[in-house]
Amino acid sequence: MTQPLLEVQDLHTVFSTKEGWVKAVDGVSFELHPGETLGIVGESGCGKSVTALSIMRLQRPGLIKSGHVMFKGDDLTKATEDEMRDVRGKEIAMIFQDPMTSLNPVFRTGWQVAEPLRLHHGWNAKKSLTSAINMLGRVGIPSATERAEDYPHQFSGGMRQRVMIAMGLTTTPEVLIADEPTTALDVTIQAQILDLLRHVNQEFGTATILITHNLGVVAGMCKRIIVMYAGRIVEAGPTADVFAHPKHPYTWALLRSIPRLDAERHEPLKPIEGLPPNLVDLPGGCAFHPRCAFKIEKCSRDVPALQRVGDTQLSACWVTQAGTELKGA
Amino acid sequence: MPSATVKPLTRAWTTADPLVEVSDLKVWFSVSSGVLQRTVGHVHAVDGVDLEIKTGETVGLVGESGCGKSTLGRAVIRLLEPTEGKIIFKGDDISHLRGERLRALRRDMAMIFQDPYASLDPRQTVGDIVGEPIDVHHLAKGKERQDRIQELLRVVGLNPRFVDRYPHEFSGGQRQRIGIARALAVEPSFIVCDEPISALDVSIQAQIINLLERLQSKFNLTYLFIAHDLSVVKHISNRIAVMYLGKIMEVAGGSQLYRRPRHPYTASLLSAIPIPDPVIELRRERTILQGDVASPINPPSGCRFRTRCPRAREHCAEEVPALESFGDEHKAACFYPLD
Amino acid sequence: MIGPSRVAELDMPGAAIEGSSTRPAQSYWNESWERLRANRIGIMAGALIVVFALIAVLAPVFSAVLTHYEPQTIDLSKTFSPPGSGHLLGSDELGRDTLTRLIWGARVTLGVALLTVAVSLTVGTAVGMMAGYYGGWFDDVLMRLVDTVLAIPAIFLFILMSILFKPTPVSLALIIASVGWGQVARLVRGEVLSVKQRDFILATRSIGARHLRLMARHLLPNVLPVLIVAASLGVGQIILIEAALDFLGLGIQPPTASWGNMLTNAESYFFHSVWLVYFPGVMIFVTVLASNVFGNAIRDAFDPRLK
Repeated sequence: MTQPLLEVQDLHTVFSTKEGWVKAVDGVSFELHPGETLGIVGESGCGKSVTALSIMRLQRPGLIKSGHVMFKGDDLTKATEDEMRDVRGKEIAMIFQDPMTSLNPVFRTGWQVAEPLRLHHGWNAKKSLTSAINMLGRVGIPSATERAEDYPHQFSGGMRQRVMIAMGLTTTPEVLIADEPTTALDVTIQAQILDLLRHVNQEFGTATILITHNLGVVAGMCKRIIVMYAGRIVEAGPTADVFAHPKHPYTWALLRSIPRLDAERHEPLKPIEGLPPNLVDLPGGCAFHPRCAFKIEKCSRDVPALQRVGDTQLSACWVTQAGTELKGA
Repeated sequence: MPSATVKPLTRAWTTADPLVEVSDLKVWFSVSSGVLQRTVGHVHAVDGVDLEIKTGETVGLVGESGCGKSTLGRAVIRLLEPTEGKIIFKGDDISHLRGERLRALRRDMAMIFQDPYASLDPRQTVGDIVGEPIDVHHLAKGKERQDRIQELLRVVGLNPRFVDRYPHEFSGGQRQRIGIARALAVEPSFIVCDEPISALDVSIQAQIINLLERLQSKFNLTYLFIAHDLSVVKHISNRIAVMYLGKIMEVAGGSQLYRRPRHPYTASLLSAIPIPDPVIELRRERTILQGDVASPINPPSGCRFRTRCPRAREHCAEEVPALESFGDEHKAACFYPLD
Repeated sequence: MIGPSRVAELDMPGAAIEGSSTRPAQSYWNESWERLRANRIGIMAGALIVVFALIAVLAPVFSAVLTHYEPQTIDLSKTFSPPGSGHLLGSDELGRDTLTRLIWGARVTLGVALLTVAVSLTVGTAVGMMAGYYGGWFDDVLMRLVDTVLAIPAIFLFILMSILFKPTPVSLALIIASVGWGQVARLVRGEVLSVKQRDFILATRSIGARHLRLMARHLLPNVLPVLIVAASLGVGQIILIEAALDFLGLGIQPPTASWGNMLTNAESYFFHSVWLVYFPGVMIFVTVLASNVFGNAIRDAFDPRLK
């Protein structure tokens, strides 16, 4: 296997709230290989976005308490703010859920897309703009030369997300982190943007971390996925294996609970009972145990570590680690 | 303009008749501009919709943002006044009801909202919120009122001890349950659910869908279920209407629509929805629509979808296709339908 | 830019409510009160205003028990006594006790301020609420009226009105309120327009609630925080306006004491009897400052995000 491009090792990110310290990311480790698309799935508050922001060192007001983010031999958690500025937008680019608030409304779009080039390569206005227009065209914005003169509000939601992607790609970064890039978009526009991300991955060879709550999106986009719950990775592995034989009860239950377009008969859904945990007041042991149908006594006592279960998957679950198959009515 | 004319019932309405009949409904909003705020155009939010909802069924209404599905839902329960067209509810024309007669109608229909944060008054307790419909229609007082509120909370799966709490103390899913309890308080026969689960966490969505289904059979409810997520709509609905730019493009039973879409828009909408199964996803053929939805202020001539339609021909720009039957309650508005 | 919204995702109070139901219900008012209580300077400012108000209310008691003078008691044998024995804060050109007059002046000054705020708030809220709620031409008419009122140079209006009507505390309050309500109406209208957009208003309409219920039960409680802030900041402004009018001789007329007209009076004796200027001046300054500090504290308590 190739050398990983990005390696997150035992990352802990905490936030201070009036109710105490919140462990938003609690011991997360994973690798990203060159050219791959890695999916991180989970619900709101599971720590998937904070993980991404911590890689970029944009987690503020959160605090990276411990852990390492190794990128091309450097530990980003130890980098100075100046060094981080060089990494951000040049070597690791990030796109967000809401393309409207991510663009500055008072500058012309072309100027903004060209900004990383002026900033990181020191190009002049003209040269960077030409390159930006080229990139806008490549991400599928029709008549890019004219549209570069427009302001962000003159673009539709899908087009704005294309602009954000173009801006991320101008400096040909090695890693693209897409945080819920299609959540704010309509399905047909979502399909367009996902198609563009696939295309970008193939054409530029950019390794991508795709963060989403939508299991359908990762199914079609990622070879490998990570499932997060309450700040921890509960399962990881090749997408096909995780979907076919989930090794963590959360993944297992989540897959059963969502209605599928291709379902043949009308059967009542099998929801996960209970509520997502409150990070301020996590249950002892495995955070999922109060909602888990398979829980054993140990689950409420000890936190399970992420360990190999089966040939290809990792799971943080006492039950599956002991060899039990997840089955249910 | 050709439209299905609604025959007024000459006899009393029974549950065998459609609960709601909408014919050639139009809801336009004026767009004003300039210092004098002159009307410069209209948003054709709903622009000639025919729809029938039978007693006890769930009709799903899908479409992308700006297609007019929420406006249609609001007009049907008369939170908006239609610009043109008719809404018949239980045999009565309610299109232009006002005053006390409209207020009386509110006892028979309710709405569940998308945003469980914005749809509950932050200054009221759960008891105030759920009790308000009871007060407004003088349904109960004192002890009886309290019992009723507690019963409603129990029915939607909330602890009745929560009556004195405030909405911000609850999670999204619990708030949505409060909203559902409020909707049930008037004992309606018809509920418009406007994207009731799209703001909720994935693991909570199924709980709310199951709750809505359980309530439907328990209280004989009829739903108009509005959503952008076709997989959810297909799960909960008996029939699905697909809307695009203010018009209904196709109506059919859920599995019929999925197996054999007739309208090219329905087909591309179906193909755009990701299925949580990597094996299927890899094999799927995608028709990715080009461009964005056209403006509802100046909708395209002829078929509204023609600007993005892979099958569009000249004729599509000249004439508006009407909903035509493809047998077995399957209708589509397209000159060149799919097989 | 990214930070706060991400934290909001984490901040889910009550997510574990299913289990714990022993905690008392946290209303918005309770929580705001908790935040206000944590603001010590704000609380001190508020307490100071309450103390002044109490002194004003109990003025007859104070003058009987503490100072043993009436505010109008003239003693020509003891004019311009410096602060000290006999007259704790000195006396003026007619030998009237400054402390007694300050206490009775607080009655007038704070009374005028309170009445003005009450009238402005009532009228302004009613107008702003109806304009924002009903909208359309009704809104246009009401808001043009507000524009007109606010377009008149206030100080000239006050001068004109004071000449036309004899300035008593009540008439003075009404004169100042005749302009003040306009600001409040604008504020309330803006707030109503934004609250009106929220889904819970539509939800309340959908159950068949009448207009009056919508306004009284839903809009008013949601607008109330803004009103409370406006009121506490308003007190300071009105004291200043009232003092200015008094100073110009258009406000409260002597011999009735107000902090403003005590200043006017003292102006001529500034060089030899500085205490006559000093004490009413300090009272005005401290009260206005306290009102502003308290108003800001309340604002922070209601909406911690603004901080």
